[in-house]
Amino acid sequence: MNSVEGLLTQIQGLSSTASDILSLQNVLKQADESLHAESTRLLPFLDQLDPSKHSLGYLYFLEACTAGPVTTESASSFVLIIARFISSCVAEQIRLAPDKFISVCKRFKDQVLLLEEPLRGVAPMLTAVRKLQSSTEHLTTLHPEFLLLCLLAKCYKTGLSILEEDIFEVDQPRDLYLYCYYGGMICIGQKCFRKALELLHNVVTAPMSTINAIAVEAYKKYILVSLIHHGQLSTSLPKYASGVAQRNLKSLCLSYIELANSYNNGKIADLETYVQANMEKFGSDNNLGLVKQVVSSIYKRNIQRLTQTYLTLSLQDIANTVQLNSPKEAEMHVLQMIQDGEIYATINQKDGMVRFLEDPELYKTCEMIEHIDLSIQRLMTLSKKLTVMDELISCDPLYLGKAGRERQRFDFDDFDSVPQRFNI
Amino acid sequence: MDFSVLNEALASKSFNKIADICDNLMLQVAAEGVPFRDEWPFAIHLLGHIYIDDINSARFLWKSIPPAIKESQPEVVAAWKIGQKLWTRDYAGVYEAIRGFDWTQQTQVLVAAFSGKAFSIIVFINVLLCIKDLELYTKRMFELLQSAYSTISIQDAAQFLGMSEEDASNYVLGQGWTVDPTSRMITVMKQAIVKEQKLDPGKLQRLTEYVFHLEH
Repeated sequence: MNSVEGLLTQIQGLSSTASDILSLQNVLKQADESLHAESTRLLPFLDQLDPSKHSLGYLYFLEACTAGPVTTESASSFVLIIARFISSCVAEQIRLAPDKFISVCKRFKDQVLLLEEPLRGVAPMLTAVRKLQSSTEHLTTLHPEFLLLCLLAKCYKTGLSILEEDIFEVDQPRDLYLYCYYGGMICIGQKCFRKALELLHNVVTAPMSTINAIAVEAYKKYILVSLIHHGQLSTSLPKYASGVAQRNLKSLCLSYIELANSYNNGKIADLETYVQANMEKFGSDNNLGLVKQVVSSIYKRNIQRLTQTYLTLSLQDIANTVQLNSPKEAEMHVLQMIQDGEIYATINQKDGMVRFLEDPELYKTCEMIEHIDLSIQRLMTLSKKLTVMDELISCDPLYLGKAGRERQRFDFDDFDSVPQRFNI
Repeated sequence: MDFSVLNEALASKSFNKIADICDNLMLQVAAEGVPFRDEWPFAIHLLGHIYIDDINSARFLWKSIPPAIKESQPEVVAAWKIGQKLWTRDYAGVYEAIRGFDWTQQTQVLVAAFSGKAFSIIVFINVLLCIKDLELYTKRMFELLQSAYSTISIQDAAQFLGMSEEDASNYVLGQGWTVDPTSRMITVMKQAIVKEQKLDPGKLQRLTEYVFHLEH
């Protein structure tokens, strides 16, 4: 017991200057084991610490306190303590012990889920992400946890805020897979299909040495969203996708690939029969909602195809070709597509005709030029980052060692394009 | 719960901020573990999303509302009804949903039930929000008709605009469209949208430099 009290005094004394905190960190590291041994008695001591001043010490105590199994009673008392700690702690201090902070936050997530109150965790988890990350380009382990809470609490819009940031730094591959997968689901909910596709595509094409469940589920959703958004699916993965993904993904998502084939034929009745027959499969994957959106999007896709062939067409003809019941129904579909900016057309009710128009964008407004300029600048920043990364890797002893070893196995001619600096 | 920010936004008629304010407030209150749902102004929150045309968020909010509240507060159900009609693109149904509910009467009931000062203001403004919503929606519909139709029957236009046929004819005549009384058809006048096309020389200079850089 003395040791805990002694530790408490040290925390209180050593929490003001940066150098003090560093020495405190060493003390805490050594005391960690004994803290865990006394975990059941630590809770009352927390009151003697101020989370906004003694953040690091508080974190060690809190981590030890919460190390036991989570029960409903313990959860309801800890959730508030952790939520308040997250909102008041000092970012510089907790970043000294990121592992401790992450495990406290993960337990916090487990606790709010146990209480069936995911909404309680959303705001604190966002604060936790902000305090843990060194910059907005840094993806932390807490990102996916935050997105998961947003999904469960149905705060999709709050989740979107974090997805707009460009990520360049990742700690664990699993963080990226989950971040992109949950992020994709949030974008699907908000009907930002373009962004959803981008995120899901990132999971599918990410480097991986073995196939994983996240990638498989992401690929299923990718297929569906691609059909909804583009009206088609390109079944070949890009060259930079991992070999494992190239070989395995399609065979693991066969019913989805077949759905895409059926969609491609454009026959609504066939598509509906196929969906009906595989209802259970899609249902058990929790993708039934998306599949239904795919089915209703086929009308849209078929109308879009018509715009490539015809300049004007009667509503009756549209109804016949895309298999809608009446010209009025066709009119409503066309109207909806005009409203969403998916086609450019005008409806002439008097003659019952639709005139398809060209995209009115002439790429000469100030707004468009601003947009182009911004895109170019973003690409330039990205390209600079790539160059820096490339240079870092080419100087990395580990990489050079491996590249050098493999080199001997090949003929000299194979390495024509390898720059001089690879020679060591 | 401190609704002062929300009240301020309502008082200054910054209706487009209401959804964000409500979202943030809800997350804060929830994080503190306060049981807020019984007192939460769900109707306003829903209307706030609908106002900025964010039907997705309105729908998710609706899904997260406990069934007990849906049963006891008809105003919340009525607010979602508007969102539902927008979601299913039942263009004329939106007007019915807005008009089909006696918002003022409900307001009185709610004010009596809660009689908290903060709350009474909120609910009063609720009505205002709805009226404003109606104007905004009519304007949106008019713009949709303008972009999507070259001719449209008076009957359909009246449905889209939520007016009687006579009012609708007068409304579109006022906007420069022509009405043919014999065929009961309206000819839509497209309005040329004037966009700023003057370029800032600095921008042009920069784009030129990009091209120059690419070619050399």
